Amino acid sequence: MTRFLLHTGILIAVAAVAAGLVVFLGLFNVSARGGHLPSVSWVLHTTFRNAVELRAPPAETVPDLSDPDLVALGARHYDAACHMCHAGPGEARTATALSMVPAPPPIRDAVSDWEPRHLFWIVKHGVKMSGMPAWPTRSRDDDVWPVVAFLTRVAGMSLAEYEALVAPPDMPDETAGADAASCASCHGADGRGRGNAQVPRLDGLGEAYIAATLAAYRSGARQSGIMRHAASTLDATDDARLAGFYAARRPSPAPTSEPDGDRERIVLGRSLAMGSPARRDVPACNACHGPWPDRRSALFPSLSGQPKPYLLRQLELWRDGERGGTARAHLMHQAARDLDDGELRALAAFYASLDPGTDP
Amino acid sequence: MRVRLRIRAGVASACALSLGGCTGVQSVLDPAGADAEVLATLFWVLLSGAVVLWLLLNGAFFYVTRMRVRPHSRKIGEAVIIGAGIAFPTVLLAILLSYGLSIMPDQRAPGDGLTVRVTGEQWWWRVEYLPQDGGGPVVSANELRLPVGARTEIKLTAAKVIHSFWVPNLGGKMDMFPGRETRMALEPTRTGVFRGQCAEFCGTSHALMAFPVVVLPPEEFEAWLAKEREDAAAPADAAAERGREVFLAEGCGACHAVRGTPAKGAVGPDLTHVGGRRTIGAGTLPATAEGFGQWLARTDHIKPDVRMPTYRALPEQDLIDLATYLKGLR
Repeated sequence: MTRFLLHTGILIAVAAVAAGLVVFLGLFNVSARGGHLPSVSWVLHTTFRNAVELRAPPAETVPDLSDPDLVALGARHYDAACHMCHAGPGEARTATALSMVPAPPPIRDAVSDWEPRHLFWIVKHGVKMSGMPAWPTRSRDDDVWPVVAFLTRVAGMSLAEYEALVAPPDMPDETAGADAASCASCHGADGRGRGNAQVPRLDGLGEAYIAATLAAYRSGARQSGIMRHAASTLDATDDARLAGFYAARRPSPAPTSEPDGDRERIVLGRSLAMGSPARRDVPACNACHGPWPDRRSALFPSLSGQPKPYLLRQLELWRDGERGGTARAHLMHQAARDLDDGELRALAAFYASLDPGTDP
Repeated sequence: MRVRLRIRAGVASACALSLGGCTGVQSVLDPAGADAEVLATLFWVLLSGAVVLWLLLNGAFFYVTRMRVRPHSRKIGEAVIIGAGIAFPTVLLAILLSYGLSIMPDQRAPGDGLTVRVTGEQWWWRVEYLPQDGGGPVVSANELRLPVGARTEIKLTAAKVIHSFWVPNLGGKMDMFPGRETRMALEPTRTGVFRGQCAEFCGTSHALMAFPVVVLPPEEFEAWLAKEREDAAAPADAAAERGREVFLAEGCGACHAVRGTPAKGAVGPDLTHVGGRRTIGAGTLPATAEGFGQWLARTDHIKPDVRMPTYRALPEQDLIDLATYLKGLR
């Protein structure tokens, strides 16, 4: 027994010395040139597959991903953040991407044998030691699903279709700077969101509010992986320039959504927004967000004419305490905390029905 | 000797301290209202009776343990048990009960003039004067003004949780329930400033839910009510004007009304004449420009869990101008 313990002790000591030599003398070659031994590759890949299958959320949690607006938003974020490694569908990967270990798979291969729930887990959490990053924010699963929606379509998408989807619109002039094109690929050159109901309009927002919001995205105070990626390419000077450009876009006169069929909701939404005597515990939205008969601070966003799905999602995030923003964000937690789902829908319907052109 | 002196001094100061509680703006023993006087009399009657009983009981106890320490006859024993144990309490309690019941109808007597509706909120008081001429309510908050000599009807309700309305110098207390109206009446007998306090635990800042009660001569009260009914005064100077701009731009009107401006919110207190009140934050801070400034910048520290968000992120000059504007709303 004593002898067994002695031998074990000696073995442990030798192993510790060997490990120390590898770590401290740099004996292990970390070069990416040779790749992994086949057996190591098999272990790593099998571990990865099983870990994803174990942890992916259940299929019931997958939302409806058929909305083309979701696909378009996901594609545009993919093009900005993921394309550099996985390339477009059918497109050659860059030589640099191919020199990674492991090499990022071409996007059609990458998605080929996963279900949406697995893709969601991989996009949200990333894969350690593979180069696949985690989503830049921890909260807000809804922010990840547009990318998954795009990934469910990418296998059947031609490169030409992909490029048509992600191409930015023509900019009206040079004043916005070259990086405005990537804003415009989702928000439009005119700030109207290119008709995508998942994307907020920027025309009609104040310059100070847009700049403060970009800074909040960059710091993580406002949660969105999509916008945090976009804002992380900017600095305060860029914020001011881009805010100035979009604040100068004139709101279009026509409402973006069709009010018919929502009439009852709009009536309820209007009474809540204007300060309902029946809900004396709910602050009146119009004091900050319009439509305001008097002047209003440019530090608060106008909500008139914003797309209904976008408004509803943001209201839910406020109500559930999951959203931050500028220095005034704490006001919204108080304002939205007592609203029920029906009231949120009513408010979204009301503001979506307003003509953005009427807001001062 | 020195120890005895010290004990005497201690007893004397304890008495002085407890007597100090007998007067003041929030004391049942310093009545300034018809109902409070009746309650104070009831208190003194009960206290005197209790003192007499205490002396008798302890006298008897002293007698049997120190003065006559030997068995008593059965006759005396039964007389004490039946007389002092059954007959005496029955008679005494019956007398006190009929006295107590006799004063209740007066306590519940309705008002004969003005009606005020008070709603308990977390943690402040929504006050609405309902004029006899049938005009709309005059909305105010966190302060109650009453005419002396008149019996004012007080209608009580609550927004979300149970509160209790109590002005010790003026009358008894009454609970306030969400979705239900209770009532009482107050009849001040002298002018002055008193203090009301929520008397039912209602959440984190229950202790900071108080209000001044200002009792005025009738003609002064009428003049005050007529002024309270008016819209807010225009800002008196450039600082107040800027303060009003900040007030509207920062969206204060989502929760607060200042009549005569676009601010029409009803979540928090009506601020139309807030500068003329004695306190802000429901009896928490004096309504001075400094008080307003402190309140705006440190709301959550001053009143834990308060619904009003803090505005410490505003530029200091904005806060100063805002405080100037609010103080000017008299």
